[in-house]
Amino acid sequence: MEQLYTWVKDVFLIIISLTFFQILVPNSNMTKYLKFIFSMVILAVILQPIVNLIDMK
Amino acid sequence: MEYEKILEEQFNNVIEDGMMDDVANTASNITYGLSDQFSLENILNATIEGKSIFDNPILIEEMKDLFFYEIKSALILSVEIISVCIIIGILKNLSTSFNSKSVADISMLICTMVIIGITINNFRISYNLAIDSVGTMADTMAIITPVLIGILISTGGITSGTILSPMIIGSISGIAFIVKTFILPALFTSTILSLINCLTEKNYVNKIAKLLRNGAVAVMGLLMVVLTGIISIQGLLTDTSDGLLINTAKYSLSAFIPIVGGFTSDTVDLFLRCMSSIKSVVGIFGIIILLLLILVPLIKIIIIAVIYKITSALCEPITESKISEGLNDMGSCLISIGAIMFFNALLFIMFISTIMKIGGG
Repeated sequence: MEQLYTWVKDVFLIIISLTFFQILVPNSNMTKYLKFIFSMVILAVILQPIVNLIDMK
Repeated sequence: MEYEKILEEQFNNVIEDGMMDDVANTASNITYGLSDQFSLENILNATIEGKSIFDNPILIEEMKDLFFYEIKSALILSVEIISVCIIIGILKNLSTSFNSKSVADISMLICTMVIIGITINNFRISYNLAIDSVGTMADTMAIITPVLIGILISTGGITSGTILSPMIIGSISGIAFIVKTFILPALFTSTILSLINCLTEKNYVNKIAKLLRNGAVAVMGLLMVVLTGIISIQGLLTDTSDGLLINTAKYSLSAFIPIVGGFTSDTVDLFLRCMSSIKSVVGIFGIIILLLLILVPLIKIIIIAVIYKITSALCEPITESKISEGLNDMGSCLISIGAIMFFNALLFIMFISTIMKIGGG
């Protein structure tokens, strides 16, 4: 239960903060690479419980 | 005949005073006094006199009042969301006149977060209502089932009672635990993820939200099918063996004891019939209490879900499609929560009716 709520909170916070960050970043050639890196960060946060599960065993 | 007196005497012997008071008080608190007219004595009198128990117009009046009260409080929510949506629409049109695009973007993001704040605050109330309602139903069942099983054993269903008692009580607490710990939190997560999804331009967590929601509903359906199947088949089987036992006992009483055997057999038969009437009375009381316990939260949740769907339809022309999609998903999640509560109540009602059906005498 607690882990689930922590996970939802993490996903919520990371997506909101990255969306803010994306708006504030100035337009340049590097923006598309930055967006890809952001997606990778979100993926890592979403997969966090699975990593914890593997560590437990 | 004097059968009314016999029935009432036996009823007072079996059901002690104040045994069901806790259940009746809790139900009365939750249903705003709707359940007061369905006390055990009223149902017993209706059974003896052969009357209908639903011929009271107050019930319909009170349900109507409840319905309109919930609609009124849900409409306030809908108006709040629509007004923020109108602000978003105005901002979207004005964004060309701002010098930089990021100012308009950030203001729209903040407006979306206001909508999310309103909806999550309201959703948490419905979610706690659902969890409380599941817990209350399980507690009610945990009080009523041992009484019913005791009466079942005294009607002669010894095998049924001893086999069904641990199965049914185990399934009740198991179901309540699984629903409260896994299924409802999964739906909660799914709702919040689909709300986050309307913040971003790209879909980040749309599919995972849908996966969690469908998974929760599927697990609940599977649990219901398996438990209902096991308990009804077990009930049918033990019913046959109990019937065999009872009929043998009655036949040997009347056939092998010379003069008084016939009378004794008839007396035993009357006793068993009375006990099975009492079992029906207690079972019907349990079913009505469960129905009323599920009715009030279910009306509230379904009305809020429908209001979300209507708001999403109304918002579509004035705001981004993301927000109306998020509100629509929110409505679907609330309907899923309502469906899970309904499945839960259905399962419990099936348990009671299985016990009521066994050993008709």
